[in-house]
Amino acid sequence: MSNSVISVISRFLEEYTTTTPNKLKVVDAYLLYILLTGALQFLYCLLVGTFPFNSFLSGFISCVGAFILAVCLRIQINPQNKGDFLSISPERAFADFLFAHTVLHLVVMNFIG
Amino acid sequence: MDRSRLLFLLSLVLCGAQALTPAHYLSLSDVSRLQNLLSQPFTDLESAYYSVVGLAQLGASAPDHTEVCQFLKSQLDPTSVDSLFFAAETSQAISGCEIPVSNETRDILLAAVSEDSTMAQIHRAVSALSSLGLPMASQEVIGALTARINKEDNVVAITLALQTAARLSQQAEVGGILEEIEDLTARLDDLGGIYLQFEEGLEATAMFVTAAYSLSDHVDMEPPLKEDQVIQLVNSIFSKKSWDSLSEAFSVASAAAALSTNRFHVPVIVSAQGPATVSHSQPTLQLLVTDVMSQPLATANVLVESAYAVASKSVILSQAPFTLNDGVFELNFMSNQPASGYYQFTVAVTGDSRLVANHVELKVKVSTEVAVSNMDLSVVDKDQSIGTKTSRVDYPSKAKTPFTADSHQNFAMSFQLIDINTGVELTPHQIFVRLHNQKTGQEVVFVAEPDNKNLYKFELDTAERKSEFDSISGTYSLYLIVGDATLENPILWNVADVILKFVDEEAPATIQPKTLYVPKPEIQHLFREPEKKPPTVVSNTFTALVLSPLLLLLVLWLKLGANISNFSLSPSTILFHVGHAAMLGLMYIYWTHLNMFQTLKYLAIIGGVTFLAGNRMLAQKAVKRIAAEQSSRLAKYRSLR
Repeated sequence: MSNSVISVISRFLEEYTTTTPNKLKVVDAYLLYILLTGALQFLYCLLVGTFPFNSFLSGFISCVGAFILAVCLRIQINPQNKGDFLSISPERAFADFLFAHTVLHLVVMNFIG
Repeated sequence: MDRSRLLFLLSLVLCGAQALTPAHYLSLSDVSRLQNLLSQPFTDLESAYYSVVGLAQLGASAPDHTEVCQFLKSQLDPTSVDSLFFAAETSQAISGCEIPVSNETRDILLAAVSEDSTMAQIHRAVSALSSLGLPMASQEVIGALTARINKEDNVVAITLALQTAARLSQQAEVGGILEEIEDLTARLDDLGGIYLQFEEGLEATAMFVTAAYSLSDHVDMEPPLKEDQVIQLVNSIFSKKSWDSLSEAFSVASAAAALSTNRFHVPVIVSAQGPATVSHSQPTLQLLVTDVMSQPLATANVLVESAYAVASKSVILSQAPFTLNDGVFELNFMSNQPASGYYQFTVAVTGDSRLVANHVELKVKVSTEVAVSNMDLSVVDKDQSIGTKTSRVDYPSKAKTPFTADSHQNFAMSFQLIDINTGVELTPHQIFVRLHNQKTGQEVVFVAEPDNKNLYKFELDTAERKSEFDSISGTYSLYLIVGDATLENPILWNVADVILKFVDEEAPATIQPKTLYVPKPEIQHLFREPEKKPPTVVSNTFTALVLSPLLLLLVLWLKLGANISNFSLSPSTILFHVGHAAMLGLMYIYWTHLNMFQTLKYLAIIGGVTFLAGNRMLAQKAVKRIAAEQSSRLAKYRSLR
């Protein structure tokens, strides 16, 4: 049983390393970074307390927002989804990603206090 | 009468116990003023009519009958209906005066009774014919009146028709005109449930009452007026105490006569003679029971249905008759030994089925005299180590020696208030102890309260009360003030002199007038207390922890071999990256220094530049990518071939 699980995972990793384009791996690494940052902030909140609450919220929301934006970018630049996003080139997707980030940061900075 | 009695009872039940009673009537002085107004010398037949007939209605008579008769005969114009009416009516009111009548005169009067004359003409002609004792055809008059009522449908005209009908013979069929009373009643305006009147004015209202009762008496049918309506009419007719004209005064006099002598409704006025107060020196309650002209109703029986104390609601008297004594109804209320206070009486006047408003509510005050007894004064040590020495003072003398109280002592005073007449303890409303500084004129007043045995005690703690005296030591005159509405002898008694000594007299500054108008201390805003912060170690650790994934990211990116070689050093690329970095920097400055509007301004500048540069850079990249894709596709295509 555990053997099969291990084999599934190893198979998955192998598939991932071989078939995923390098560009997407870079994005995935970014996603992992954001996930960990958000998780650590949440951990702090659980262990120490919510004060200052607006700072915690803005930090956590910025992580969630950035994660969502990155996932969107990943979906749009994935060659497998090319058929769905014919009108959106990868460059356009990246520019949108940056613009959305600017707006997100403005909001987060406004909220951080 | 039974019907209206029933209605009255019903209205009593409906509106609680409070029955409507007349609020206005002609007092004796009103009657004499009215007589004075009517007695003024007359200048023509019309004023003679108003004066002589009006006075007759009030029960008075013109001074010199023969002179009046001479005046009438000299002024009479035998061709004028008005002149004949005034002369004939006036001559009826005095004795021994015959107005000569010719056939011609009679024909003029009879000719005036037709549908073509006005209502006033018909009324005057018929009244003149009746007063002169001339015959006329009642049926014809009724026909003319009915026709005129249809033409002149106003209150004054219909009132005249009622008066005219009352002058016809007993056999005349006046049923149709009698119904007009009910119609007119419906036209009366109700003002606040107290007054009932025609908008045409006092004269119209008063003449309507006169006409309605004279016609009702004539045909012996009760007028369709409810008791409340009669009372409301009384209120509106007699509320005006100064009369503008002779005719108005005449109408009020006529209405007063109609309301006191008719066969159906006689409103009763019950009023106390003098103030409604009884005491031991004046034990009888005296009531005047009169009609609206203040003429006593000597045949009436007056009965107290019930009397109860306003404060305790306990009934003290019921079904007690008043005795008639020289026109005044008297009741010895003190024989019931009422305690002092206010009593609500319900008085019923009976003895005549015509009486209206014969259940009256009266408020009667029972007053008494008070005496102060057992006045004990003492100065008590607070620690009670020394036995108190009390001294008794008798009213109204003053204690011979002054009392001295310093800050370790209390000044005490106790007394009882006794009803002189019954010996019962009293608790009047106002019991004050007044201390008056003889030097400065300052006075301090305290309230003395009774304990549960009705013993009044007043204790002055000199240390505690010093602020009320502004800490001024000195000789104070002690006064006792006793007052109440039911007391005949309110008391102001200088009981004794008291020397008060306060401790901290040293500060004359406190005596200075208080500065009321200095600014109040400024109110400082209190910010919310910040919550306790976690220790710095924990914060720093977590800062490092939160930042650590960045390291992981860099490691991962290096491992994946991020493609930096594609970085071209074209100006647009550099500008784009610098702009992007500047935007992030701006965000930080926004956090630390700027407000939203400044930030948006700078952001627009940097963002614009970055957008243009980024657009250019990404376009170049796209061109490169597409070219590469095409070439690779081409290569693939070639290799396939």
